[in-house]
Amino acid sequence: MKNKKDKKMIMIAAAVLVVFVVAALVLYGIFKPKAASGSKEITVTVINDQGEKKSYELRTDAAYLSQALAEIEGLSVEGEEGDYGMYVRAVNGLEAVYERDQAYWAFYVNGAYCNYAIEEQPVYDKDAFEIKYEAKRE
Amino acid sequence: MSKMEKRKKKGPKEAAWDVAVMGMMIATLEAGKMALSAAPNVEIVTLLVILYTLRFGKKTLYAVVVFVLLECAVWGIGLWTVMYLYLWPLLSLTVFCLRKIDSLWFWSIFSAVFGVMYGGLCSFAYLLFGGPSTAFAWWIAGIPWDLFHGTANFILMMVLYTPLLRVLRRIAPPGSEGG
Repeated sequence: MKNKKDKKMIMIAAAVLVVFVVAALVLYGIFKPKAASGSKEITVTVINDQGEKKSYELRTDAAYLSQALAEIEGLSVEGEEGDYGMYVRAVNGLEAVYERDQAYWAFYVNGAYCNYAIEEQPVYDKDAFEIKYEAKRE
Repeated sequence: MSKMEKRKKKGPKEAAWDVAVMGMMIATLEAGKMALSAAPNVEIVTLLVILYTLRFGKKTLYAVVVFVLLECAVWGIGLWTVMYLYLWPLLSLTVFCLRKIDSLWFWSIFSAVFGVMYGGLCSFAYLLFGGPSTAFAWWIAGIPWDLFHGTANFILMMVLYTPLLRVLRRIAPPGSEGG
């Protein structure tokens, strides 16, 4: 009797899993961040822990921000793979250590916080990106 | 003697056992989390919370709350704190409701479902701080990672459910023969 009930629960769980996976794939297919092809002009401004700004202008064919950043001479972005894409630890050699200073590098596009990891953040013509050192304890 | 009276008369041995089990759960949750922190979307916390709830019931909820507080102490307070505060207790409570089911396949599929839903559940925290569009965009961008998370959870549960549960069943309160 118990075995029969367990089997029924396995079937229900499997059905729920299939529904969730299919729904996730469909929604991702429809709403995933879409990149624009072709040439774009963008600006990237880095704001360090002292509030000093350094701007870079770039003409690029890059579809995503990580590719564009890699093309900028004199700009270094280092990080590691996190749960949701690359976690940027250091920009131009300046490390933001969350564990120590509760500090992190925040990414903005046209004044709004970037919703995607830098490998998934689409790049459009005339986009203005800001990479800002932010710390909770200042 | 009623169940209530029995509960009141918990002796020092039983109390010590409770403390030891809680300590073991919290330590292994934290150690497991740390050990796999370098592997994106592969985590053992889901597996442990499920197995602990199946074996130790409501006690796991307290251990999960302490685990979340410990995580805050280690990593500081962030948006993820809000997510953790409802995610892991919600998992434990759901497992508690389904604890009568004793099936490797069921719990493996359940773990996979939790992994697939993880980003969606986390995005509720963004509703409070960034609004619906931020929450939705954040969830959608993470879907490939959620699918990976679900797959990893499924494999971990398939491999570890039976041996770990066997070990946990040996941890029995004083005076009992174990589960």
